[in-house]
Amino acid sequence: MDVALSPNGRRLMRVFFALVILFLYAPIAILLVFSFNSSPVPVFPLSGFTLGWYHDFLTNADIRGALETSAIIAAVSSVGAVVLGILAAIGLTRRRFRGQLGVTALLLSPLVIPLLVLGVSMALLFHELGMQRSMYTVMIGHIVISVPYTILVIRPRLGQIDASLGEAAYDLGAGPLTTFRTVTLPLILPAVVSAFMIAFTISFDEFPVASFLVGPRQTFPVYLYAALRFPSQLPQVIAVAVVVLLVSLAVIVAAELWRRRAEARLEAA
Amino acid sequence: MGAGEGGLTVEAATSEPAAAPRRRRRRRLTTPALLGLPVAWLAVFFLAPIAIVAAYSVDVLVLFPGPHGFTISAWRSLFSDTPYLHLFAKSVEMSLIVSAIVVLVAYPLAYFLALSGTKRKYILLLVLIAPFLTSYLLRVLAWKVILGDQGVINTFLFWTGLRSPEHPLSFLLYSRFAVMLVLGYVWLPFVALPIFVTLETLDRGLLEAASDLYASRLQAFVRVTLPLSAPGLVAAFLFVFIPTVGEFITPSLVGGTGGYMYGNQIVDLFGTGFPDWETGSVLALFLLAVIAILTLVFVRFLRAGEAQAA
Repeated sequence: MDVALSPNGRRLMRVFFALVILFLYAPIAILLVFSFNSSPVPVFPLSGFTLGWYHDFLTNADIRGALETSAIIAAVSSVGAVVLGILAAIGLTRRRFRGQLGVTALLLSPLVIPLLVLGVSMALLFHELGMQRSMYTVMIGHIVISVPYTILVIRPRLGQIDASLGEAAYDLGAGPLTTFRTVTLPLILPAVVSAFMIAFTISFDEFPVASFLVGPRQTFPVYLYAALRFPSQLPQVIAVAVVVLLVSLAVIVAAELWRRRAEARLEAA
Repeated sequence: MGAGEGGLTVEAATSEPAAAPRRRRRRRLTTPALLGLPVAWLAVFFLAPIAIVAAYSVDVLVLFPGPHGFTISAWRSLFSDTPYLHLFAKSVEMSLIVSAIVVLVAYPLAYFLALSGTKRKYILLLVLIAPFLTSYLLRVLAWKVILGDQGVINTFLFWTGLRSPEHPLSFLLYSRFAVMLVLGYVWLPFVALPIFVTLETLDRGLLEAASDLYASRLQAFVRVTLPLSAPGLVAAFLFVFIPTVGEFITPSLVGGTGGYMYGNQIVDLFGTGFPDWETGSVLALFLLAVIAILTLVFVRFLRAGEAQAA
């Protein structure tokens, strides 16, 4: 006898699971359908098939500009967050020191701060410093948001690696940077790549903090938010959003599969 | 010599001759070299901004030039001026309901995946979580398209003749209902994760033991599974509650006036209309304090659980 579920319970659960999946995916599917619908407003009955909205957004300079801005910000801020994350993760796993608990708490605390509060307070900081809002202020904010995630991804991987590998490199006369480059980095690379992907997706999709820190160049979510108020652009916005959604989904799944395979290969070696 | 960090603590404890380790330690990066930059980044761009908000909340810093100085009048008015507190209570209530419903829906899903022995449980879990990894705004947009007076549901009802175009179901969009529905939709996939993790690590042998001792499945669930999954359950609840109580995007897109939340109030106080940074700072800090306390209580709870288990 199965101790967790009766046969009927199992059947019921399976139906429930399917219903929830339907609930989760139906709205996305509806968006997909309307992105190919020729009517400029998303209403039933469907009026006809078109690729026009996709064509429109490809030629829409505002949308392309916003996507580009978001890509630049996401690339820079995720590199920054990963560098800080690696340093912090090594410091937290390979060293023991006074106040370690407090430092860990500080480094992870952006996870729980409401992003609204973070956005407001950083806007006040830049106001006090007399710094203009720009792409750089958004990058700084996104690094703050992403650092805890990169630490959480990289730290467990460092924990799995035998610290004596690094010690051996020191004993053989390698400096800290050489040791990192030739021993530590190759071993934690899968985690580093996945930390980078996570930070990139967070930044690319982040709205609350960006909305307070953004300068004249809008990020994509900021553009999307503004565009949701102009119904005339709705189908175009839906089309571009669908593309972004599918690309991000594909990237996330590919990255996760790659990480698993790479880590398995490192285990085997 | 033992490995890395373990080796160092052992040395310290047994006070071996320290010459060799000292030489090595000099060549390794020091702890400040590793942690200095991350800690400094967060001190400047995370702690300092909060300190500035605090300064605004007590009028040490002000938006408009003029006489100012330390005063707690803005704080006093938060607790006496009931509209803000009412709004906070309303947000807490909405957020509590959403969190409770979402956890109740996610628990059986996680239970099914973790304990039914389904092959492909990780693939099903990925399918469940994937929507969470996609654009937040896009998922809100989807519901805007679905719920509006001219939205998918209403036009579908007109088209099929179930409802006349003069009388759409207008409570669907720009209401408290819409906000709660969308928040639940957005957070549901994410919440299954912490519950799944605790149930996954649960020792099935315990359930078999319960069954051998003639416990029914329900008894085994109530007396074994449920208590052991409590940390995951509480974590899941807080994972929804913390971000939704200060939410402002969803209410501003689908909430109308009925769905206006505490977070919207904060945004408006820092907005361009009638800015009042002092009051806004008080509201923001109050929200932060409530969430910080919840987090601390939760961490304590987890540690107590670990201590008990050990």
